[in-house]
Amino acid sequence: MDPIYLDHAATTPLREEVLAAMQPWQSDAFGNASSLHRWGRAAHAALEGARAEVAAALGARPAEIFFVRGGTESDNLALIGSTRAKAASGRPVLVISSVEHSAVRDAAAHLSAEGAADVRVAEVSADGALDLEALAAMIEGREATVSVMWVNNETGLTLPVAAVAHLARAHGATFHTDAAQAVGKVPVDLRDVPADLLTATGHKINGPKGTGVLFVREGTHVPPLLFGGGQERGLRPGTEDVSGAVGFATALGLAVREREANAARLTRLRDVLEAALVARVPGLRVNCAGGPRSPHVTSVGIPDTDGAALLMALDLEGVAASGGSACHSGAARTSHVITALYGADDATATVRFSLGLGTTEADVLRAAETTGVVVERMRATP
Amino acid sequence: MSRVLVAMSGGVDSSVAAALLAEAGHEVVGVTMKTFCYSETPGHGKTCCGLDGITDARRVADALGIAHYVFDVEEDFTRDVIDDFVDEYARGRTPNPCVRCNSNTKFRDLLVRGRALGCDRIATGHYVRVAHAPEGSTLMRGLDPSKDQSYFLWGLPADLLPRLLFPVGELTKAEVRTRARELALVTADKPESQEICFVPSGDYRDLLRRRLETVHPALEPGHLVLADGTVVGEHEGFAGFTVGQRKRIGGGFAEPMFVLEIRPDGREVVIGPREQLFRDRVVIEELNWLGPAPGPGRKVRAQLRYRAPAAVGEVRLLASGRSDGPDRLEVVLDEPQAAITPGQSAVLFDGDVVLGGGRIASAGLSASTR
Repeated sequence: MDPIYLDHAATTPLREEVLAAMQPWQSDAFGNASSLHRWGRAAHAALEGARAEVAAALGARPAEIFFVRGGTESDNLALIGSTRAKAASGRPVLVISSVEHSAVRDAAAHLSAEGAADVRVAEVSADGALDLEALAAMIEGREATVSVMWVNNETGLTLPVAAVAHLARAHGATFHTDAAQAVGKVPVDLRDVPADLLTATGHKINGPKGTGVLFVREGTHVPPLLFGGGQERGLRPGTEDVSGAVGFATALGLAVREREANAARLTRLRDVLEAALVARVPGLRVNCAGGPRSPHVTSVGIPDTDGAALLMALDLEGVAASGGSACHSGAARTSHVITALYGADDATATVRFSLGLGTTEADVLRAAETTGVVVERMRATP
Repeated sequence: MSRVLVAMSGGVDSSVAAALLAEAGHEVVGVTMKTFCYSETPGHGKTCCGLDGITDARRVADALGIAHYVFDVEEDFTRDVIDDFVDEYARGRTPNPCVRCNSNTKFRDLLVRGRALGCDRIATGHYVRVAHAPEGSTLMRGLDPSKDQSYFLWGLPADLLPRLLFPVGELTKAEVRTRARELALVTADKPESQEICFVPSGDYRDLLRRRLETVHPALEPGHLVLADGTVVGEHEGFAGFTVGQRKRIGGGFAEPMFVLEIRPDGREVVIGPREQLFRDRVVIEELNWLGPAPGPGRKVRAQLRYRAPAAVGEVRLLASGRSDGPDRLEVVLDEPQAAITPGQSAVLFDGDVVLGGGRIASAGLSASTR
């Protein structure tokens, strides 16, 4: 039987339309977008077209969109840049939620370690609640940046970004959101949510890897981390990746246009998967089941099993899923997100199934059945 | 064909073991155990995740077209192997960390996780042989006498034996290298690992200094004494010594001097000439048997060090601490042997068959041979 890919929150396959849109900018139209000649002008036009398409998809203005080389870079630029911009009047505060991606967590830890920011953590509950009063107390009277992700990558939990954004604005703080798992999955419109900085990446939405943007709302100051030829208005110098920008814009445009239909389909598949898992695996808990969730992620906690071995066993039986965050070696570690949501003594093994464009009902039913078989086998092991 | 879990260290032996099993038509699943972390600090040159062993094992698995996973056993390994290693040196003994790992950590974990992965059998690249028969399985020395690793495997849980495969035990090291080259495996010409895996510097005293209290008797200066108690010099800490050692004793003696004994209570290292190194009675403890336990009067061959020839002796039983058999025994050797070292393993054989073994608690000399 063909293996089933249920790890779309890790990455997604490139859509054919996206590959087709990118292709010319890799071959005949190879120009440097900064050159004055016709090759350069063509590349520049494509780049600016892509920027306009991204801006339209996010409810932003083209001048607010900066192409970068992926989500991690976008998060680092947002946090480090925003913190540096506030350094003139003493050490600023940086608040992150307890369930952020490591690109945000580790950038914050770095800023804390070098004494550049007082880092505070806003706790998130398993139903997606975030204590706004506590958050307000953290930033009250301080120069502050607040970073709260839109959709959590490990659980699909949707965080109250609009409320946090309004709160941050009311306190004069800069608000950043990592929306890598949100765009194309839940409505993301920067006209409704007063975020100052937003991160998006291409490879989570069937676009190319190594692409992404940082949205910087007009009036928000972010100094660059890299220095060079002044591209992207100096915020992200380096010869522009026109093909990548076009690919990202095409993928984002498709994802946003098809979002409603896709979300309905994925929600149904997710519910089928979760019902089948609950029926098949005794003791299984659907993580964050009570909270608002993005339709593409199902995270489950399974007691009396070893998480690392479970994922390996699923892989051997043809089901690609993932667990918590992984070290480069592939050695699984306990997820900081599950620990934050369910406590350090939570003894369940976490498995994340994430659905995408090609996922079918047969896929999710087989994944649930395979999980049941593997868990039975593991529980029978003394 | 069945699904077999192969423990791949990233060395040539386990690479070839995996290749041979894949060639024989098994569905092979490669795993590398992450036992020890050099540093988790970003920017540190040698990160845990970039460990050469894991990287090489993955490359070999990719080349063979088999799955490969990493088992993180750091916590168990630290408790069962590193802590024991430190404790043993602190007690004036000389530990065998590879034996501890095989006995307590590695195979047990491979079995449990292997079952979870649906693997009926476990294979490694050890140079030993195993014969499976309906009445039971027996572990035997590897065919290549210069590479035989049975010394490290006496502590295997006996119930595991029927599930084990050791494909390279039937080969010589030269044959293994040849097969690896034929298959163009990246590990074909990788040198043997000599050092202890968790002591990358090669000097285990660095590890002891880090893991023992700042002031620990094992690392404090003490006297070098003769067998009669005469003080003849100083040493920098008895943890730097093992029985039979010449290094770090210093000169000025009429004949070459060797460590005879370590007395942790008085921080004394007893030294003497070579003829005083010989002992013919060995008390062993923490016993483990791979088949029926040898009874009193049984003639056995006892291997007391890795690469040492086995010495003929007779089993005597000592105190019985458990209902299922004695927990210590004594072997009386036909010929006295040099440098029998507490903490090392004593492995008992019948010909090439490994009966089992234990840790050496002490060694003595019979009155008649004094």
